[in-house]
Amino acid sequence: MADLLVVDAIGKVYGEGSAATRALADVSFTVAEGEFASIVGQSGSGKSTLLNLIGLLDTPTSGQVLFAGENTTALGRRGRARVRNEGLGFVFQFHYLLPEFSVWENLTMPAQIAGRTVSGEERDRALQTLALLGLEGLERKNANQLSGGQKQRVAIGRALMNRPRLILADEPTGNLDTANTEAVYGLFRTINAELGTTFLIVTHDRAVAQQTDRILEVRDGELVQDVRNDYAG
Amino acid sequence: MLSLKIAARFLKSSPGQSALIIAGIAVGIATQIFVGSLITSLQADLIDAAVGSSPHITLLPGDSASTVPGTLATTASKSEPLVATAIPVRTLSAIYTSGEDSVPLSITGGDATDLGLIYKLEDRMVSGTYRLSAGEALVGTVFAEKYDVGAGDPLELLLPDGTMAEFTVSGVFDLGQATANERVAFVDAASAADALGIADEEYTAIQIQLTDVFASTEVADRLGNDNDVTAVDWQAENAELLSGLAAQSGSSIMIQVFVLIAVALGIASTLAISAVQKTRQIGILKAIGMGDGAAGRIFAWQAALLGAGGTLGGIALGYGLIWGFSFAPVPFSIRPEPTFIAISAGIGITVALLSSIIPARSTSRLDPIEVIQNG
Ligand SMILES: Nc1ncnc2c1ncn2[C@@H]1O[C@H](COP(=O)(O)OP(=O)(O)OP(=O)(O)O)[C@@H](O)[C@H]1O
Ligand SMILES: [Mg+2]
Repeated sequence: MADLLVVDAIGKVYGEGSAATRALADVSFTVAEGEFASIVGQSGSGKSTLLNLIGLLDTPTSGQVLFAGENTTALGRRGRARVRNEGLGFVFQFHYLLPEFSVWENLTMPAQIAGRTVSGEERDRALQTLALLGLEGLERKNANQLSGGQKQRVAIGRALMNRPRLILADEPTGNLDTANTEAVYGLFRTINAELGTTFLIVTHDRAVAQQTDRILEVRDGELVQDVRNDYAG
Repeated sequence: MLSLKIAARFLKSSPGQSALIIAGIAVGIATQIFVGSLITSLQADLIDAAVGSSPHITLLPGDSASTVPGTLATTASKSEPLVATAIPVRTLSAIYTSGEDSVPLSITGGDATDLGLIYKLEDRMVSGTYRLSAGEALVGTVFAEKYDVGAGDPLELLLPDGTMAEFTVSGVFDLGQATANERVAFVDAASAADALGIADEEYTAIQIQLTDVFASTEVADRLGNDNDVTAVDWQAENAELLSGLAAQSGSSIMIQVFVLIAVALGIASTLAISAVQKTRQIGILKAIGMGDGAAGRIFAWQAALLGAGGTLGGIALGYGLIWGFSFAPVPFSIRPEPTFIAISAGIGITVALLSSIIPARSTSRLDPIEVIQNG
């Protein structure tokens, strides 16, 4: 299968001079379309830094990231925004919903940013997503009026709405209880199986990582292990 | 359009803050409209009182002549499009004696219809009829009262050449000014010619009114040069009034500029606060792909909405103030000036947009990572 993502010797240094922190050094790996992989490592090891670089939220100090064959490191701000909108979906530990908007509006925001009107096919997709996430009937509610688990599910729905090829999740269940955590990973698996969406999930929970097909381990800003996990459910 | 939708939603999410700033802009714009209209109306009234019913330009004989031809009135009307009225008159001084008292009168002789155009005498008659048949005279209210003459009474005048002439008073006018009402009189054209000893087609002056009173200086210059006569314009003789008006306009503009600055600062600070309050949302929107330009436009739209709302409110409030002022016990009324109001509205919205530049720029520069990393 073609490589969807090529991470090519990327490094990241925060700050300058004596205050400089090397968060990531010379990390390289590739991810194929349809993979369901996790990134593990201790706190401060550089997991979020890596994910933010892949997600074009930040720029690497060295190296480059290729997404769907395109060198994203060479893109300007506009191009990066386009790739974030069309090619990528984000799920963070915190939901990052827009409190001024309803569940429906939050869900359809990526489509609206892309300049599409929410009708016809777009509408059906949003309704499908709501059903998939078990959020039917909540679309009129304000994003503030949901439970933590519901908010996180809306955030996942929003990440899915533009049918991105790659979903980047950074401790997506960090704020959820066991039952909700199981439900979210179950959902990720379903989406991965049904839509063929590629997943890259950051977690410091080994048990969670054991459920993914591939485990990448980061230590002190370096990639120290990259193993296939054939025991995953 | 998404930027507009988000802007409207942001404003709606803090209704108190939005309402306050709209009220602030409205008060500013209303003040501007009220002060501007007040000053404009006041000045229009002052100018009307000063020259509304008197000549704006008087053409007098040049150095080499003692009279001007009556045809000069037509010539002036034809050559200068700004001339609204030009009439030939004969002016002279005479002395009225009544018992012990004698009083100098400044007499203007002319055709009744002509004089009516400049002095608006028809509307200003308090008794008698507005008519100047041969040997008839019109006198002012103060004169009539002081010397106890009225319509139908004889009026004997000592002319400059030492002879006496007798007129019959046909009516009494009120020019709205005590001195004029005591010292000014009008007589028919032929009697004035007799009194001055000049021919039928000779006059002592051409009196002119213009459609634009402030064009008098240049028009007077041209008329004087082209016709070889001495042209006197009202502005030269009312320098004090004019400098007073200019000072008034200046202070009115100062007030308006300061009001606008206050409005601009108000909008700018509100938007700056809003930009800080919404940093998180902007970061999220950018993380999911909103472009820098669209993000910046959210604040431009917020400014436009606040500016438009405030300006509409301000126009309503301004009209309300002007309407309220019509009940005030003052001898003049404020007329709302549509062009002035349109300018105020334009300025209001422009100022709002300008004050959104800083928050819009900082918003468009924001990196989503700043929000995502700091939770
Ligand atoms: N904005 C920043 N400025 C300076 N240093 C930073 C910044 N962000 C992260 N770092 C540093 O970079 C290193 C990696 O941070 P990162 O957030 O990637 O760790 P992490 O693996 O995600 O940790 P955690 O599991 O606690 O989230 C840490 O040493 C951190 O202190
Ligand atoms: Mg992290």
